[in-house]
Amino acid sequence: MSNDALVLLALWLLPLASAILIFAFGPMLRRSAGVIGSGAVLVPFALTWVLAASALGTGGLKVHLFDWIAGFSFGLWLDPLSLLWTLIITGVGGLIHVYAIGYMWSDRAIARFFAYMNFFVFAMLTLVLSDNFVGLLVGWGLVGLASYFLIGFWFFKPSAVAAAMKAFVINVVGDAGLMFAVFVLFAATGSTAYADVFAKAATLAPATVLLACIAIFIGCAAKSAQIPLHTWLPDAMEGPTPVSALIHAATMVTAGVYLVARCAPLWDVSPEARALVGTIGALTALVGAILGIAQWDIKRILAYSTMSQIGYMIMGVGVGAYQAGILHFFTHAFFKAQLFLAAGIVIHALHDEQDLRKMGGLGKKMPLAFWAMTIGTLAIIGFPPFSGFFSKDAVIYGALERGYPLLSLIGVVTAGITAYYMCRMLFVTFLGNNRGNVPDVDLGIPAREHSEPHFGESAPAWVMGAPVAILMVPSVVAGWVVFGGRWNALFASDFAPKPESALATVLPEWLVGVVVLAFVAWGVAAAYHRYGSFDATVSAVERLRAESQRMAQPLVRAFYFDDALEALFVRPARAVGSAFMRVVDPHVIDGVVRDVVWLAGWIGREVRALQTGLVRGYALVLALGAAAFLAYFALIGASR
Amino acid sequence: MIAALVVLPIAAGLALYLVPRSAELTAKWLGVLVAFACFVIAVLGNGQPDESLRWLQRPFTANLHVGLGGLGYWIVLLLALSTCCALVALRIPRQRDFVAQMLLLLGAMSGVFVARDLLVFALFWDLMLIPVFLMLVAWAPRRNTATAWRYLVYNLSGGLALLLATAAYGVVEGSTDVIGLSVGHGATAIGAVWGTWIFAGYAFGFLVKTPVWPFHTWMPDTYADLPPPAVAVVSAVQSKAGLYGFLVVTAPLLPDQMRAATTLMFVLGLVGLVYGALVALVQDDAKRIVAYSSLSHLGLILLAAFSGNPVALAGAAVYIVAHGLFSAGLFIVLGQVEEREETRLLSRLGGLGEIEPKLAGALHIMVLAALGLPGLCGFAGEILILTGLYQAGAVWPTAIALVPIILAAAYMLRLFQHFMHGPPREDIPQRPDLRPVELLALAPLVVAIVLLGVYPGPVANSGVVAGPNAVVSLAIGARR
Repeated sequence: MSNDALVLLALWLLPLASAILIFAFGPMLRRSAGVIGSGAVLVPFALTWVLAASALGTGGLKVHLFDWIAGFSFGLWLDPLSLLWTLIITGVGGLIHVYAIGYMWSDRAIARFFAYMNFFVFAMLTLVLSDNFVGLLVGWGLVGLASYFLIGFWFFKPSAVAAAMKAFVINVVGDAGLMFAVFVLFAATGSTAYADVFAKAATLAPATVLLACIAIFIGCAAKSAQIPLHTWLPDAMEGPTPVSALIHAATMVTAGVYLVARCAPLWDVSPEARALVGTIGALTALVGAILGIAQWDIKRILAYSTMSQIGYMIMGVGVGAYQAGILHFFTHAFFKAQLFLAAGIVIHALHDEQDLRKMGGLGKKMPLAFWAMTIGTLAIIGFPPFSGFFSKDAVIYGALERGYPLLSLIGVVTAGITAYYMCRMLFVTFLGNNRGNVPDVDLGIPAREHSEPHFGESAPAWVMGAPVAILMVPSVVAGWVVFGGRWNALFASDFAPKPESALATVLPEWLVGVVVLAFVAWGVAAAYHRYGSFDATVSAVERLRAESQRMAQPLVRAFYFDDALEALFVRPARAVGSAFMRVVDPHVIDGVVRDVVWLAGWIGREVRALQTGLVRGYALVLALGAAAFLAYFALIGASR
Repeated sequence: MIAALVVLPIAAGLALYLVPRSAELTAKWLGVLVAFACFVIAVLGNGQPDESLRWLQRPFTANLHVGLGGLGYWIVLLLALSTCCALVALRIPRQRDFVAQMLLLLGAMSGVFVARDLLVFALFWDLMLIPVFLMLVAWAPRRNTATAWRYLVYNLSGGLALLLATAAYGVVEGSTDVIGLSVGHGATAIGAVWGTWIFAGYAFGFLVKTPVWPFHTWMPDTYADLPPPAVAVVSAVQSKAGLYGFLVVTAPLLPDQMRAATTLMFVLGLVGLVYGALVALVQDDAKRIVAYSSLSHLGLILLAAFSGNPVALAGAAVYIVAHGLFSAGLFIVLGQVEEREETRLLSRLGGLGEIEPKLAGALHIMVLAALGLPGLCGFAGEILILTGLYQAGAVWPTAIALVPIILAAAYMLRLFQHFMHGPPREDIPQRPDLRPVELLALAPLVVAIVLLGVYPGPVANSGVVAGPNAVVSLAIGARR
């Protein structure tokens, strides 16, 4: 095995080793678990750079591990695509680990937390480094598990437990979809390795490819919170904020984007799959943004914005603008992590208060959080020259270029809505007067259970501050990688060159960019008018109460997705199960069994005058009969 | 040496009654020692030459013929391991008698999986019912023996069918010393009529034993009433006897009949798969949840057995061992919970994770393996089986079979969360966490669950034999 291969193995397994170590010795380690855990992510980050050269070389870096049976071979593969994801997972992941040392400082279970976080990083690396679908599926399932562990980290809270369960089950739906894709592809190609499958992609029947793409995309939709399988993501905010930043914003939820990009050879030969995935992505972007307007919980707003932004990415890779979708993943990882971490600073300082209505005027008290949130907001709404500007425009124009003008239009409208709800969050949180002492009723907040605030000792402020400060830099500049065409050249070998559509020749990229900016300006202005202006901040309490009470029902119920899933699947399954348990098993099946026994008994009574009336009597006869039968053969044998 | 797998535990089990009743600890560790010895013997005996004694000449030839290899080897290992772990992990009143019965069960079940003669197979098939029956009687909750009789009558009916089929096979073919012969042996000699009846006899015995829907109604009661160590072994291994029967015994001997029964078995397997999962979703008794989940999981193996696809059969071998590992683990951990909290009802428990984190961790691993978490053994079996089913052209059955996989996540997590999560409850005893010896008992199972999940190669490659008529069977090593 070459040195590079050993380095790749080491960086893959290091987080796992650390997770096991921390789990085994957790009570002894306490807070030093955080240091070990962070190191176990940052060292792989450094190691990844060592491998960059061979990853970018022809064919990337491949390591074969072992085979189960023929067609099920396992190995690692570092190519430009997986390299990018690995760098984000370990780089942004490492920063979030450091931040979490401060965030979880006074939690008794801090060691368990870092064991789970390291385990997540290992699982995510498995997902992106695998060179075949089954290994991918293993990573896919394990990130779901890590997510479940961390959503339910505070497992004494019933709401956290329910959210964890929901996230896991919906993700298993996705796993099942992905499994089906494995079946289809294995039956068609006799292999589960990417290389074998993609080599034959062009020769497969179109229906087969479409079926495989749909099945793969069910997996992507569940993991990346695309409609209608998105409902777990807002609830997943029950987990500690660093978890939301790492798993439910920067990395795991983008796995669907990775997979569609990885399976580009399949999508390239199936226009129907392209249209489907692009449409779902665009709709998710729109729905997420609309629902973001109606939230009061700072983390739920960010959750819906994540859903919406991943919608953009999926739209990008779906329509075939792979580089654009991946670029949006790249920039989003920085600014969304930063937004979450800044929100975490606020939540931490307010002792777990997450309701916007109880905030206000925090800009002066928490300048770092304010500036981080402002930069993050500017990036996410696509304000030039912040990173989101380049990537979002690339996706919107990419859709146009590929001949999907309608999706492009949805993207433009969504950009405006995004600007509105993000600025709403920013203004309500940081401007005006603090409303922390205003009673809930006056703000229109329905009765709620207050979790007990934990006033433990705090970590030094820089532990949480430094990662946020560092992330500000790429939030601004990450988009600049597009200059000089280097970004597109990076993936040139992976993705087929793009065909230009007629519309793209008429509408130049700068014009589309201006239109997007106009929508964004409209969104910012509207938010400023309602929440940011002097009038709005002075009358904030009345305005917020009125808005809380008058919120439209479809928005409050999040377009009834949860209710629909409940009514269509959960309740019928329970009802049928109950019917089987209460009626079919005891009365139908056992009824027949009793009839047979009764018949046997009846024959017995008719044939033999002697009857005991006891079941055990018949059983005894049966046993004796069997014994006699055996004895007969045994005797014959003996007499030979 | 291979015969020692049968003789040693039975002799030790009987000899244990000579030990004084009060020497509970001695009895327990003697039992563990014997089970461990069986494990070692199995490892050493794998692939060793068969052992055979002449038995019958008339009306047909039958020999006391035993051998070890292939799938049988893995099941015997699983049997010794799960017995060992179950005995170490749990305490039972009247320990001496209990350990003696467990050893008798170990010997009888080993007999089923090492038998190379149909008559020997049938003999041990009935023999393995007796210790279970006696345990159901002697350790019956509330002294209610109805479950015991139900178990015995139902399974003896199956055993009788199997015995009659064996006799008929012997008379028609002239010899019953045929297990492990190449595929298609006797396919020409047995006429259609005899073949059908013989197959029906075997199939009835196998279906009841597994059990397959709709022959399952004895099982939830039996699993609920059996003491935890016994149910761990019974669900891990005894439930595999029927599937082993299809895969190893009837598939090579009666390929035409296997093929003819495919549709029926697919329907039964699929119905059981979905039915078991749906009922598991609403049960309140944790042992019954696992019992119904078994009904569901074993339905999947039944599909594989009749798929005639090598990948699915490799998956069946993996899943048989995998299901044994996690169901033994699940019942052992449920036993440990019941030992502490004196109940296993979901509605009565909650928040145990806070006070008993090790117990929670153990249950978590078992639950995750059972719901088919990728990376653990259940998944390895499932994906191979389903890939094979799809490849064999059974597209819709494969799609339907994915539904119970989703349901499994729901019912298994429901079980776990009701036990371990939520606010701690005041109305249940606060007992100490797992002791080191109890952890030690679970460690081998956990290691095996992970190893088999990551690298199922050895079990998957233990031998798939293709035969005529596209019937495929699993190998149990060459007959020597």
